[in-house]
Amino acid sequence: MTAQLIEEAREGLRQFPPALAQEFEAAVEAVQPILEPDELGHWLGDGLDIARHSLRSWEAASEYFRASGPVLEQVTYDRMREWCLVGIDLMETSPALSGALFRASPAVLPHLSVPQANDWAAQGKSLYKGTWKSGSLSAQYFDVSPQILPHLPLSQMRLLVDLIDSLASHSYELASACLGMAPGVLSQLDRSDRAPFLEFGGIVAHTAWVDARVYFERGPGALRQVSEDQRPRYLSLAGQVAMQVGRLGHPYFIEAAQALSEVDKDIHQGLLELSEQLAGHSGDAAMEFLKSSPRVANRLGIDDIARWQEFGLQILQQSRDGGEAFFRLESARGEEVMEALSSRVDLDRVSELIRMYCKALTGVDVGVKASEELTAKGVGWVDESSPTTEGTTIYLPENVERYPTKDENFAVYKVFATHQAGRLEFGSFEYQSDLDPVHFPAAQNGAGSSAQNGHSNGVAPAVVDGEAAEIHTDMERFFDQFDDRRLAHDLFTIVEDTRIDTIVKREYAGVRRAFSRLQQAAIDRRRPVEDMPARQAMVENLLRASLDEIGRIRWPNELAEEMRTPLRILNRIRHEGATVQDSAAATALLYEWLSQIPNVELDSEDWSDFEQEMSGDPDSGEDSDMMPGSGSSGLEESFMPFMPGSEERPYDSPDPVDFRGDFKPELVQLLMKLKGETGSGDAPPIPLTKEQLQELLEKSVEISINELMDMDLAESSGMFLDNLLKEVNQIQGERQEGQQAMGDDSTGAEDGEELPVEAASFYYDEWDFRAADYKPRWCRVQEQRGESGSTSYYTETLHEHTQLVQETRKQFEMLRPELFRKMKRLTDGEDYDLDAVIEWYTEKIAGGASETKLFYRRNKVERDVAVAFLLDVSASTDEEIQKHHDQRQDDQFDDDPRKYLSWWAQRRAEAARHPGKRIIDLEKEATVLLIEALETIGDKYGVYGFSGYGRDNVEFFVYKDMDEPFGDRIKERIDKIAPVRSTRMGPAIRHCIWKLQNTDAKVKILMLLSDGRPQDHGYGRDRTEKEYAIHDTKMALTEARREGMVPFALTVDRAGHDYLKQMCQDMAYEVVADIESLPRRLPALYRRLTG
Amino acid sequence: MTTATEPITEYRSWAVEEFRLEEEPYYVPVADEVEVFQAAWNSKIPVLLKGPTGCGKTRFVEYMAYHLNRPLAVVRDGKTEIEDESNLPLVTVACHEDLTASDLVGRYLLEGNETVWIDGPLTRAVKAGAICYLDEVVEARKDTTVLIHPLTDHRRILPVEKKSQLLQARDGFLLVISFNPGYQSALKDLKQSTRQRFVAVEFDYPPRETEAEIVQHESGCDYDVALNLAKMAEKIRNLREHGLAEGASTRLLIYAGRMIAEGVSPRRACQVSIVWPLTDDGEVQRSIEEVVSSIFED
Repeated sequence: MTAQLIEEAREGLRQFPPALAQEFEAAVEAVQPILEPDELGHWLGDGLDIARHSLRSWEAASEYFRASGPVLEQVTYDRMREWCLVGIDLMETSPALSGALFRASPAVLPHLSVPQANDWAAQGKSLYKGTWKSGSLSAQYFDVSPQILPHLPLSQMRLLVDLIDSLASHSYELASACLGMAPGVLSQLDRSDRAPFLEFGGIVAHTAWVDARVYFERGPGALRQVSEDQRPRYLSLAGQVAMQVGRLGHPYFIEAAQALSEVDKDIHQGLLELSEQLAGHSGDAAMEFLKSSPRVANRLGIDDIARWQEFGLQILQQSRDGGEAFFRLESARGEEVMEALSSRVDLDRVSELIRMYCKALTGVDVGVKASEELTAKGVGWVDESSPTTEGTTIYLPENVERYPTKDENFAVYKVFATHQAGRLEFGSFEYQSDLDPVHFPAAQNGAGSSAQNGHSNGVAPAVVDGEAAEIHTDMERFFDQFDDRRLAHDLFTIVEDTRIDTIVKREYAGVRRAFSRLQQAAIDRRRPVEDMPARQAMVENLLRASLDEIGRIRWPNELAEEMRTPLRILNRIRHEGATVQDSAAATALLYEWLSQIPNVELDSEDWSDFEQEMSGDPDSGEDSDMMPGSGSSGLEESFMPFMPGSEERPYDSPDPVDFRGDFKPELVQLLMKLKGETGSGDAPPIPLTKEQLQELLEKSVEISINELMDMDLAESSGMFLDNLLKEVNQIQGERQEGQQAMGDDSTGAEDGEELPVEAASFYYDEWDFRAADYKPRWCRVQEQRGESGSTSYYTETLHEHTQLVQETRKQFEMLRPELFRKMKRLTDGEDYDLDAVIEWYTEKIAGGASETKLFYRRNKVERDVAVAFLLDVSASTDEEIQKHHDQRQDDQFDDDPRKYLSWWAQRRAEAARHPGKRIIDLEKEATVLLIEALETIGDKYGVYGFSGYGRDNVEFFVYKDMDEPFGDRIKERIDKIAPVRSTRMGPAIRHCIWKLQNTDAKVKILMLLSDGRPQDHGYGRDRTEKEYAIHDTKMALTEARREGMVPFALTVDRAGHDYLKQMCQDMAYEVVADIESLPRRLPALYRRLTG
Repeated sequence: MTTATEPITEYRSWAVEEFRLEEEPYYVPVADEVEVFQAAWNSKIPVLLKGPTGCGKTRFVEYMAYHLNRPLAVVRDGKTEIEDESNLPLVTVACHEDLTASDLVGRYLLEGNETVWIDGPLTRAVKAGAICYLDEVVEARKDTTVLIHPLTDHRRILPVEKKSQLLQARDGFLLVISFNPGYQSALKDLKQSTRQRFVAVEFDYPPRETEAEIVQHESGCDYDVALNLAKMAEKIRNLREHGLAEGASTRLLIYAGRMIAEGVSPRRACQVSIVWPLTDDGEVQRSIEEVVSSIFED
């Protein structure tokens, strides 16, 4: 029966290609054992129906047969039949789809119930639009379904299909590519993120379909940067924003996620909430807020961020642009609010203040910089966060955010700075071996002559192979006395810091409170003493005592006596008048005492807070008490009972005290010596060989090479030496430069070659009229000297315009004020005003004179004018000037091309012979004439040019600075004035304002000479926008006015009236209609302006 | 007990040349300036006082005027008798940029139908044999400095051009000028021809302890407060030329001391009487305030 059915079917399939028959045979073999005979009948019937359905439906049939076996292994035939009907149904649409469906079946069926299968197929069908391309997309859908369905429930498949469908309406290739990527993308995502991911994808497909591929490629990676539980939320926010902002939606999504990755994940939720609030008002603001979040979070806690956001939200509600600029951190207000909310104090905001403070305290020119800058030099300092000094500059951590208020944090800075300034003020680095201490007997100095002879204890004579090794600094010689340099260094640090702190607290009572607070905090962070071996514990206790906390010393009761002596020594350093010599003497005493203490573990039940009975009178006891030796002969014995084992433990330095920072007296003295700044005066800088340095490195505990660099000693010490010498040379170089600069002024500009000067950078705000606020530090102006050419240009120009030069010179000479101007009719003055007296007398004879204002007085009139000329040297000034009559000629050719061509060729030939003048040439000529005129009148003037590209690169050329004397150099530079790039006027004007501010004159004029409207890359929303640039320029000119300067804008752009009117409003401006009259016009204008 | 009919004199006035100091001005010599001045006066050499503002130049001149005695000669029955000694009158002129020669020498003024000659303060001082102190002399117009030249050399003569007179200075007359080299621009420097007619006494702020003593005396505050003020001033003076044109003067310290003596808190007193008068620059103000707050507790 069955065999007959099979045979019939085989017969029926004969009309189709043999491939189908093969599939059929294989399938029969697979299903025959499984199916009941009637089921088999249906199965065969369906297969034949499919194959016969239409022209190419045999392919679908072959898929059907191939899938049957695997499918039946998983489901019953009834199920399979229902599913088969779905496929047959699809045949009506497209046999190819049907084939794809069957092909996908074995893998898909386990995931789907019957109704789902219908749904699944329907979705695939919905992609089919009757075209070849849509068909293959739809087929692809069925093909990838097996890989997608494990990741995506069918209910969410709709999202993907809609997305793909939407893409397909733009590009089938893109849709197909995305569909192909979908399984991989979905598998990367968390289950809960998949639907939101597709939802946002759907929006991207609508708003910016070209971004879809990038979204599929980079989206999952971007999303991973967001805190796990916040990802769906982030996606929905991104979707909300994308609906508003369209094409920007996707870039925002990527960038904001990137920004979030830089922020602590814990506050993602908070940030997103705040962003969602903004999204209701402006999608841009919401995303800009997230993009700014790393910088903001760096300054503010989440609560303060909320306050900051609230402030920005208010601005946003008033002005969209203003709010968006606020959140982009492109508004001065945004920065201000952040600064106000943040409790953190940044060094760069207070460094000048602290610098002046330290200068006031110390009386020397100290610099204040971030510690990082010192560590970056690689000259021995490694800690980036602790305050320190290398003798000329005080280094402080970049910011302080320890306490909840700004004032408290600033107080921390102040304590840091005061302590470091104290080291300079009270001479921590001025140790000299030949000076006696004040409070300690000279013999105990441990230095001077005794050092040379070798001290009784722990002193290594500084003699190697009978030849005295070169000793570089007094500090080095001091430390050389001790076998254990680390211990000596630690003790010296404790003693010297104690001395400094004591003096600081005595001298500066006002910082005591802040000091105590930090001391308290420092002591709270100390590690427990009890765990330390004896010597180390004693050092630790000394350090605690040095922090003014006798009560915090922990020490075995039984050994109280042994602790008392060092404490007494330390206390003596607190006496008024103690110097660094005393510190050295105290160090030597302490060293002798402590070096006898075995560094072994102490076993005592009786650790207790140390009672300092003698604290009230630290002076009690004779000097001999401090002497080790007689009194302490049994030091070691007294420790014996408490030593469970006699094993020496390695000695560790005590933890540093943060507010005291790094102390490297030996290195500082070395640096000073290398720089030739020895305390002793004019000792020449000593050369230091690499070997000597290496020796020094090996013995000094202040430089730990392996911390410094990750290389072997020889290599790193070489590097260190290089750095050190670089540092020294740099300072000497600066000094020389300073001398040179001073020399320049006196000897004039003739001598020597001009050194190329690196561009100095200045930062200026820029006015954003939309936000009605400044963008803080928005533009970087790079000031550089104009290049030098030859002086011949200048002379030639003068020659060319001899007539004009003489004319203007004469006019300007008339401008020169008379020295005195008579003021008449005063009640009191230098002498009688004859006219008034005659008048008075006649009136008097007539009988009625009462006028007594008969005097005159000469008042001195000084012409005190400074002017800054700002030339536009943007590329547009390269344009040749079109003469009017040329244009008129254009019309005279009567459409005769030959006439025109010959005219044109003639013109070109002429142009080659006499290149036409460009705008810049006229600017230069005008400048030359003006300079000639100004030199006769004696006004101060500067000639500058500006150009640039983008806000970071505003080039500001100095052709002649305000205080520079006129000479050949200036002439040479004028020769080289040449067109460069764009026209960003605002920052150039602001820089000119700064120049004028630093010039002393009663009348200050800022003259702007340009050839067109301000324009630059990013100077406005896009290149075509004019408003922004004009507003910024206007604001810059207004600033000049506010500073009491007279701004004047001059343009040779005949269309200049429209924007100049807007830019200058009530300020003076002129459009020079006939460009060629510029050289004549400029001096005339100047005369009018200052006359 | 005054009655309503007796007018109460609420101010006192002197003719310019008659002003004499009746009480000894408080002045603590820092170096040998007293001896130098005395010697200059004895030898009739004019004196130039250099020094920053508020360091005690004017007070020094007052002090010297009080201490330089001149016998008051009275001619009686053809015999000259020395009857009394009196200290020197002191004529002080604060110079300004519009101060002219005739402001110093004198001028004719119209009064009714006639002109009346009025002596200027310099003329009066010359006649009275007083110390004439031209404060901040570089501020005055250049013609005035030329005017004083004949007065400052051996001639000791004041030409009064408008009256065609020459006035020989009376004994005791001494010209003293002051100037502050610190903040004058190069334009306003004293000409060499003028400078080289004087002996110069340089002033600076006194050392810490002396200054504290002065502040204590003048302000009536505690010595500790005064010492702290002096210490603070030392620190602030370190900022001279670096943000500050001039350091805190002793005069300002005295003001601060007085405010403190009146019960104003030290930090506030320093703010109103030192920080704010010194500078308008916000950053410099804050730096100084930090110095103040380091030295004075709340």
